[in-house]
Amino acid sequence: MITEYLKKLYETIRSVAGITVVLAIVVAILSSIFRGPYIIVNTVVTGGMLALMSIGLALVFGVMNVAQFAHGEYFMIGSLTAYYTFIPIERYLGANPNAALSFLAPLVSILAAFCMGALMGVLSEKLIFYNLRKRSRTNWVMNSFLLTVGISVLLVNGHQLIFGTELKGIVRYWTGRPFCIMDVFVSRDRCYAFILSVLVIGLFWLFMKATRTGRAIRAVSQDETGAQMVGIDLSGIQVLTMALSCGLAGIAGASLLFMFPSYPSVGLDPLYMSWFVIILAGMGNVLGAVVGAFMVALLKVLTMEYIGSGWDFVVPTALIMLILIFKPNGIFGSDVRGVLEQ
Amino acid sequence: MLLEVKNLDAGYGFLHILRNVSLSVEKGEYVCLVGPNGAGKSTTLKTIAGLISPIGGEVCFDGETISGLAGYKVARRGIAYISEEMNLFSNMTVHENLLMGAYTVRDKQLEKNRLAFVYALFPQLEGRKNQLAGTMSGGERKMLGIGRALMCNPKMLLVDEPSFGLAPLLTEDVFDSLDTLIKEGGTILVVEQNVTKTLDVTDRGYVLEHGRIELEGPSAELARDPHVRKAFLGV
Repeated sequence: MITEYLKKLYETIRSVAGITVVLAIVVAILSSIFRGPYIIVNTVVTGGMLALMSIGLALVFGVMNVAQFAHGEYFMIGSLTAYYTFIPIERYLGANPNAALSFLAPLVSILAAFCMGALMGVLSEKLIFYNLRKRSRTNWVMNSFLLTVGISVLLVNGHQLIFGTELKGIVRYWTGRPFCIMDVFVSRDRCYAFILSVLVIGLFWLFMKATRTGRAIRAVSQDETGAQMVGIDLSGIQVLTMALSCGLAGIAGASLLFMFPSYPSVGLDPLYMSWFVIILAGMGNVLGAVVGAFMVALLKVLTMEYIGSGWDFVVPTALIMLILIFKPNGIFGSDVRGVLEQ
Repeated sequence: MLLEVKNLDAGYGFLHILRNVSLSVEKGEYVCLVGPNGAGKSTTLKTIAGLISPIGGEVCFDGETISGLAGYKVARRGIAYISEEMNLFSNMTVHENLLMGAYTVRDKQLEKNRLAFVYALFPQLEGRKNQLAGTMSGGERKMLGIGRALMCNPKMLLVDEPSFGLAPLLTEDVFDSLDTLIKEGGTILVVEQNVTKTLDVTDRGYVLEHGRIELEGPSAELARDPHVRKAFLGV
């Protein structure tokens, strides 16, 4: 029994994905030894949130075959919602301090951001993708991609029109001394943001694996006709997928509000980063996206550390080009049979 | 009448395939639809299953009109469609595929009973419970496809080309399992290219040519019909 597992583990490690993951871990450990443990801490915090973004992207691509380029805007909506929820609560707290509420206020803001993101996701599916799907499915990948670009432009300018271009940010969510982990001081916000991302990813994973609805989402991504044959309502699953994906982006935007203040195009950087992740991991591969997110985060942190902070887009982009040339399916391959392959 | 198809017209976009197709299946009957390649046999099944919406005509199931309903709604009424290519969830295990088949079954006990029933019908599947569906052989995939369709306790099975891509021995196995289902009170409408075998096992048959029903009658009579013998049996 144990030898069997070891053998399986050995085979996994020997695959391309295994080699890459092991290599990434070794590099992370080595650089932390030479430069200091903050490299690992930074990687892990950035990676957690990047994973939330990338999961949503991979999910939408896998289930609906939409190359989502408006994903950053749901991140922006999340951060905006969190800002306008958190500021009034903070003001109220300034007048009447309350320890329990000041711990809960950020969580309430993040929850509001999730709901708002999910709501916007449902609206975009119902108003836009549903109608396109009903009209024609020819050239779906290209048409839906162009629509997402349109949505992105609309939302960015909508933000600018209604809320203006100034930075809407907060200094911190949680007050208090920073935590000290491995001789590195990590602010409470970063710590909680990471814990939150792990929790959400865990819940999401459980939902996809163990619940009936989660299985239905996976079924739709693997075979749409088969899903209909067993009685799954496709349009319901599509709405749910979009809501989940955009809600996760909203959570990411809200929990990183202390790092990225909300302004119209705040979503661009996370959008590009999460696209790097899913190209690296394989389009539509949700588990791969989680691992890939940490690898891209590591790459980014290392580039900033060793080459300079202006290069943090150049190195991942160069890597993406190499991947697209030599391993276009991504290092983890893909679980989904998209319309591209039919 | 469990299933009644009246004057059905259907096709894909501008391609008009079925013209005025009428057929009916009684509860407990084993009916086949045979015909040459491109006659519209699969289109007929897909239209009944709701995967294609008809241009004209009506499909009634259990006394209610189901034509024009979306595929998932037809499936929820108790019509299980098994396509030629099976449409399995290839990155799920055999077990998960079967559970997906019971998607519409809310009753845990019934789900358990159906699982036991399917594993009893296809013991090979139980041995491969944890294997990914995409890594199985053609015969096993066929069994899994039928098994998944049986999980929702359907009132009727629509089977498209059960022998497609299978070795003769495996074809026998698949037909045997359909036989067992009929003996247990099931209702089956099967589409086949293997006319000899099909007319041998079914009760009644329809011959579809160029999108029209050309002949119908008890299978034994069809097998003796000069036109059928000349066109399909090569005698």
